[in-house]
Amino acid sequence: MRLLMWWSGRALSSAATLLGVSVLIFAAVRLMPGGFAETVLGPFATAEQKAELATRYGLDQPVFMQYGHWLGTVAGGDFGISMISRQPVGAELLARLPVTAELSLLAVAVSVLAGVPLGVLTAVRARPGGGGAAGRLLSGLGVSVPEFVLGSLVVFVFSRYALGLEVGAWVPLTQDPARNLATMVLPAAVLSVFAVSVTARTTRDAVMGVLVEPYVTAAVGRGESPWFIVRHHILRNAAAPVVTLLGTITAYLLGGALIVEHVFNLPGVGSYIVQAVGRRDYAVVQAGVLLAAGVFIVMNVVIDLLVGVLDPRLGVTAGRRS
Amino acid sequence: MKRLDRLSLGGLACLLVLVVFALGSLAGAGGDPDAIVGPRLRPPGPGWWLGTDNLGRSMLPRVMEGVGTTLLLSSIAVLVTAAVSATFGIIAGYRGGYLNELVMRLVEVLYSFPAIVLAILVAAVLGPGQVAALASIVLATIPLMTRLVRAAAVAVSQRDYVTSAVISGARLPRVLGRHVLPNVAGTIAVQGTYALSVGIAVEGGLSFLGFGVQPPQASLGVLIQRGGTYMIAAPWLILGPGVVLVVAILAINVVGDGLRDQLEPRETRSLT
Repeated sequence: MRLLMWWSGRALSSAATLLGVSVLIFAAVRLMPGGFAETVLGPFATAEQKAELATRYGLDQPVFMQYGHWLGTVAGGDFGISMISRQPVGAELLARLPVTAELSLLAVAVSVLAGVPLGVLTAVRARPGGGGAAGRLLSGLGVSVPEFVLGSLVVFVFSRYALGLEVGAWVPLTQDPARNLATMVLPAAVLSVFAVSVTARTTRDAVMGVLVEPYVTAAVGRGESPWFIVRHHILRNAAAPVVTLLGTITAYLLGGALIVEHVFNLPGVGSYIVQAVGRRDYAVVQAGVLLAAGVFIVMNVVIDLLVGVLDPRLGVTAGRRS
Repeated sequence: MKRLDRLSLGGLACLLVLVVFALGSLAGAGGDPDAIVGPRLRPPGPGWWLGTDNLGRSMLPRVMEGVGTTLLLSSIAVLVTAAVSATFGIIAGYRGGYLNELVMRLVEVLYSFPAIVLAILVAAVLGPGQVAALASIVLATIPLMTRLVRAAAVAVSQRDYVTSAVISGARLPRVLGRHVLPNVAGTIAVQGTYALSVGIAVEGGLSFLGFGVQPPQASLGVLIQRGGTYMIAAPWLILGPGVVLVVAILAINVVGDGLRDQLEPRETRSLT
């Protein structure tokens, strides 16, 4: 019952945040310096086009009415018409979403599959008081290389020398899954470098925290094998911070995907937004940014739920954080 | 007070070298960044130690100018962030109540945007340029710093010295300025350092996409973006500024880690 209460509170607060995000995005684009109609239509707009825009967005109404109108259409899945292609933005986003989703999921998979074992291994092997300079430097390097630098270098290396993986020739998943995967490996690898380092670091810290617990000493005393201890005692108890971290990583991957798609020329949501900013296509920017923030907020609720399942104690205490 | 460990000192030294680089560029060392010194797209060699670009300009002074632009932009942005976050974080943490609720709500909204996505929105609204880059860094770094300053201020506000200051009749500005602020300054310093590295990455990313600093002014992001066009023929155009950018971010992160171990020994690690 108490958990249910906490859950509805969490959902409500996320909804409020999402509402705040929508107000911010609406205000940012609608109250632009120079005026909305002029900026969107450009200097050569006819009076007719302006009138069409005014009716479409209800520009003659008070601002909060305009906001309500916009929110209503967005909630109904109508993100407006692209000013450049004259196509519905919602349909285009939906068509591009699978590319970004595939890229992000691959990157998350890599960061968990590589980061967690790396973190566990370095923690178990660590000497007390250790953490050598080389290890710190290496993990520091992982979080310090921006993906536009790494991406540019990877594109250079793989387009200059034939290394078996094509760059910039994207193939739809439905057309040829194997070739699609081959074109996604490099972008996903570039995107995941930061996430792998952070996951490894957090896993290491969490595991080191668990290692000093008495029940681990007891298990060692009972003569259980190291692999068994890691699986049964350590991983489960160290999981919560790592899963929580996935929320932060998601935000990071959403931003990183934008740059990686641009660098590798992938037809995803990110490159769509980047193109749109260059062309001043505000309907697209508005929808894309709202989508990114929305995914992040929903993802964090899901992760809170997951952490609550993993460790029931945390759900209750987390409810009391202000 | 213990000194910074070796690795952090190394980071600090790297950072100093970059600052000297940037200052040297202002003083004209390394040559004129816009002067054409030799053939186009030449690999590094005497006369052009980082190679020449597509117009025959030497990359060395351009990278030096770029370091200056990037560091200056990020530093100004982080100072603004620190001022805003310290003010709102301390007031929210000390006062609590509806004010705290309001500040935390606003921060939560800002926190929902991935940094580069927020930067894109800012650039779309303000138009590409330095102002957009500056505003993006400020907005992207405010949420985390405000949250952590507030958390530190909440803990400090319950200390006896704050209570005794209040009892002895100190006014609010004095309590906050003399008793709370100095005791959350460590958090501000550590988070400010991390914010600087986030700022450099955001400026780089935004300029790389073409929405930050605009050519002909050089910033590290601009140089890497321009270099991308001639990447196959002249990889040094992205290698030079790329390596410098990574070194700058890494050095700042390492210094931040060292500061954190000094100033907040039991704090958990923060991301980026």
